[in-house]
Amino acid sequence: MRVPLSWLREFVDVQLTPEQLADALTLRGLEVRGLERWGGNWGKMVVGELLEVSPHPRADRLQLTKVRIGKDQVLEVVCGARNIAAGQRVPVALVGALMPDGRLIERAEKMGVASEGMLCSGAELDATDDGDGILILDAKAPLGTPISDYLGEDVIDVDVKPNRGDLLSLLGLAREVGAITGSPVKYAARKITEGSSEVGDGLKLTVADPALAPRVVLRVVDGVTVAAAPDAIQMRLKAAGLRSISNVVDATNYIMLELGKPTHAFDRAGVGSGIQIRLAKAKEQLETLDHVQRSLDASDLVVADERAALALAGVMGGASSEVSATTKSVVIESAVFAPTTIRRSAQRHSLRSEASHRFERGQELDLAPLAADQVAALITTWAGGTVRRGQLDSDPKAVGQTRDLTFRPERVRQLIGVSIPDAEQTKLLAGIAISVTEAKGATSVPVTSKRTVSAAKGESLVAVVPPWRRDLELEADITEEVARLYGYDRITPTLPGRDLPGYLPQPTALRDQVRASLAAQGLSEAVTHALVSPALSNRHAEPVALVTGLLAEREGAAASETLLLSNPLSADHDKLRRSLLPSLLDRAEANLRYGALSGALFEIGRGYGGTKGGPTEWTRLGIVVWGEIAAAAPGGTPRLWDLDELKRLIASVASLCNAAPRYLPLETGDTTLLHPGRSARATGEGIAGLIGELHPAAPEWRPSPRILMAELALHGLSSGQPAVRRVLLPPGTPPIQRDVALAAPAAVLIGDLVALAKESVKSAQSVELFDLFAGGGMAPGERSVGLRFTFQPDAAAALDDAITAEVDAFTTSAAKRYGTKVRGAETQ
Amino acid sequence: MELAALEKQLRTLQTESIAKIGAAETSAALDELGSSLLGKRGALTDLLRGIGALSAEDRPKIGAIANEVRAAIDAALSDRRGAAGAAELSALIAAESTDPTAPGPLPQLGSLHPIPETIAAIARIMASFGFTVAEGQEVEDDVTNFQLLNIPEDHPSRDLWDTLYLREPGRLLRTHTSPGQIRTMRAVQPPIRVILPGRCFRYEAVDASHGFEFHQVEGLLVDRGTTLADLKGILDELARGLFGPSTRTRFRPGYYPFTEPSVAVDVSWGGAKDGWMTILGAGMVHPIVLENGGIDPETHQGFAFGLGVERIAMLRHEIPDLRAFLENDLRMLRGLR
Repeated sequence: MRVPLSWLREFVDVQLTPEQLADALTLRGLEVRGLERWGGNWGKMVVGELLEVSPHPRADRLQLTKVRIGKDQVLEVVCGARNIAAGQRVPVALVGALMPDGRLIERAEKMGVASEGMLCSGAELDATDDGDGILILDAKAPLGTPISDYLGEDVIDVDVKPNRGDLLSLLGLAREVGAITGSPVKYAARKITEGSSEVGDGLKLTVADPALAPRVVLRVVDGVTVAAAPDAIQMRLKAAGLRSISNVVDATNYIMLELGKPTHAFDRAGVGSGIQIRLAKAKEQLETLDHVQRSLDASDLVVADERAALALAGVMGGASSEVSATTKSVVIESAVFAPTTIRRSAQRHSLRSEASHRFERGQELDLAPLAADQVAALITTWAGGTVRRGQLDSDPKAVGQTRDLTFRPERVRQLIGVSIPDAEQTKLLAGIAISVTEAKGATSVPVTSKRTVSAAKGESLVAVVPPWRRDLELEADITEEVARLYGYDRITPTLPGRDLPGYLPQPTALRDQVRASLAAQGLSEAVTHALVSPALSNRHAEPVALVTGLLAEREGAAASETLLLSNPLSADHDKLRRSLLPSLLDRAEANLRYGALSGALFEIGRGYGGTKGGPTEWTRLGIVVWGEIAAAAPGGTPRLWDLDELKRLIASVASLCNAAPRYLPLETGDTTLLHPGRSARATGEGIAGLIGELHPAAPEWRPSPRILMAELALHGLSSGQPAVRRVLLPPGTPPIQRDVALAAPAAVLIGDLVALAKESVKSAQSVELFDLFAGGGMAPGERSVGLRFTFQPDAAAALDDAITAEVDAFTTSAAKRYGTKVRGAETQ
Repeated sequence: MELAALEKQLRTLQTESIAKIGAAETSAALDELGSSLLGKRGALTDLLRGIGALSAEDRPKIGAIANEVRAAIDAALSDRRGAAGAAELSALIAAESTDPTAPGPLPQLGSLHPIPETIAAIARIMASFGFTVAEGQEVEDDVTNFQLLNIPEDHPSRDLWDTLYLREPGRLLRTHTSPGQIRTMRAVQPPIRVILPGRCFRYEAVDASHGFEFHQVEGLLVDRGTTLADLKGILDELARGLFGPSTRTRFRPGYYPFTEPSVAVDVSWGGAKDGWMTILGAGMVHPIVLENGGIDPETHQGFAFGLGVERIAMLRHEIPDLRAFLENDLRMLRGLR
């Protein structure tokens, strides 16, 4: 809420500077978002006195003026407005002034006469809406004073929280300021003079359901002249962020800001003989003030006459009863409506107004009659006319009540952690008009909305809560008020005792290890959108479905469906991703466009999907790499990312998770994302995923650099914990290596041979592929496959025969199963 | 053979050998000379084969002379070896030398993203105060995201969170990490000390300081007798851990439906931006929220806080635009390391 400080000072003395006030409010929970000098942009504009006004010799529309702007400074200014006369004080924009609309004032020749500035209208200053005449200032306006000093205004913008609807008013804010400064709040209601006609003469009021409109008050003012509101009022409303409409409408807005009570003024001519507050009929039509035809709903509350709906209650008035220049008589409606009803209507019609904002936050019953009178008083002051005798009041007995709220001062101390004595708590609360009394005997203290606890005699106090503090319902609410008024800055920080261990649990610790390892190997961590576009997500089904195995099945990813938003911000982000790869590929593309011909990205992030049992989420490691692994040494050749290098990288990560991947071929046609001849499924204990090079038919493909990617589920990354490894101390003998070269038909898969080797040679610690080639002495259609078995015997030569037997068993099985032949063997 | 003749031959061998040794250029040549002169089938051994023809009294004499000759040749070999070895070593070093001033090829250094890094930094600080880490679900329901956190339907406070909804009724993307408070309290008995980092979503137009996807870290401590003063103490430490030991904090009242009293925390640490920067919201867990979490608000109390990871990362790394975090431009990522 924007608060012009001159207005606030009408309700409470403020000795503080605007900055001090802003800080003090912020520290008491009324966050000041901004502090501005309204009119601070009126540079080089001063108060001038018109010494002479004479006709322009050559132009009827213009007048020549002499304006004094200082003791001996007189300017000659040509002016087009008609409302000026000698002796008036007016705003003068000097040469070099920059008008709010961006116009620069220059020395100008107007029909042969030099003009040394410009006399300003309210509209030209963006201070009022009057663009026809010059803004005539008070006769005592000090000559030569900058206009920004004379008309400008300090404005603070207070962020009023949703629970404090009472602060959406100057009066409410004045109460808080008074609590800070100790100054009393000054409020004097304006007196109204009533005429002889009765308000009920020809006008009736019925409220269909008092639960939806607990109090409705009507006033009628006859004989008004609708025109612009006084300049000072227009400027004040403008500084507060409202547009000036007319003297009648401005009167309602002025009182809304002053008291926080929205009211509505109807043209009496547009209202029949009876005003009804009722729910709309289904599909009932109403043209609102913004000239939108609205089809109402049976849960919209309306202000209607006997014929039709006149206004959407608490939200916006209707066009048919809008106050206009021809309006002679007005009906002022000042009501309290059920907050939820107003909120739903405003939401349903996407129509949030200053009024609905306040109604949603609740209204004080007493304000209904008060605001009706205050608006009537202002209308007669600004627009003339006579107030009819009396109010139509739906329920004069519906008045604001104070509420007793019991609290235990000891609990307040226990929660805050500071020993604030009962007397001080009482004094602090008194500052915001909450009087505190002794409880008579045992009491019942509201702890939550469902639960009260009893307090023995002497343990509790009773806070008498004023009607405008609708937010105070529980003991904890009183605790907050005491803490806030005491000042958070005065609470001495303490550290709670420790009875819990402090260590990073899984998966955090392992994930950090994996991240650090990948970064050390040259990859950069990425964070990409979880919400993706159809173009990206259309590729999702493929990689997700291919990540199979126990780990993936447990997460429910493969069997899940894409989750869609019902209210997406844009079509580019309307689905939750199932795979990280499309987003990462998209980022690789972006980096290539920025000129990164080599790069490596990884992300540990979630995929999302819907299953019959509800939504599910899983954690994946996504990798995309392209170009060089590292720059070549001068004169050397660089290592490029390829499937082998990617597998080397994955082996390092898998090792951290105690996983050992085995690679299986993808079925042809499994994917349009990955190269059919350069991709694989990774499976194994604690790992599931897929790796590969980008499909040559993919739009992002290029001959160079090639883009490769991997998506992996790893045990321990999202849940579970890799077991701590056990290790045998190595004996004092060196390891034995046995190399076997096989001639294998080209169709035999290396993965199958290695798997067979591992299975056959159980005592080998490792089996590695150390050599692979075709041609060079090999028969056509054959490859040479070099396998290295490493053994760690306890004693030298002890296992030699056993090793030979195992390796021979392998070569025999391989020959039988895959048609391989032994080309040679060697022991080291 | 005469003693004299043999002695003469030995002396001649000595003279000639020393001359040959002096002329040898390389260690390899010296090795060859060594074995041809003094080896098992060398020249000296050859000469001494005639010793059997000498008289018994001459034999020791010629033996002594032969030893002198052997020692002299050995000494010469050793001298010459030292000289040749030094020259060879210099030649080797000279041949293998490169220009040491070349800068050397650069490694391809990777980098860690500021969002997970900031979360990790917070986790490490909070771990030292006994806080563990848990991660909740990002696809939430209205009940847990709002209602159980004391944000009823149709309450104006809902305006604080513009929400992205899934097509399935009642399902939404969590607008904050706070529903994790409920899930944690329902799963774990007090004492509870936990942080809950993760991704959150809001229906919000993107600009330099807003995004529809962002990250938060929730903190929750529930115990007996935890106070607002404790909250100040812990958050002071967190702020100093994140922004340096001279960081100042300012605690002021805030508003969140799920805490009472509520706190907003500002920091000032002499960074690029002067003055107070709001970094988090916090407060004592509302008794209604404790009750909804299955904890008796009469026996237990605690505090919760929630901070925006992007904002912290922006302040720490002086990144002016939040959109950069999802851009993943390698030039920026590698710059952060």
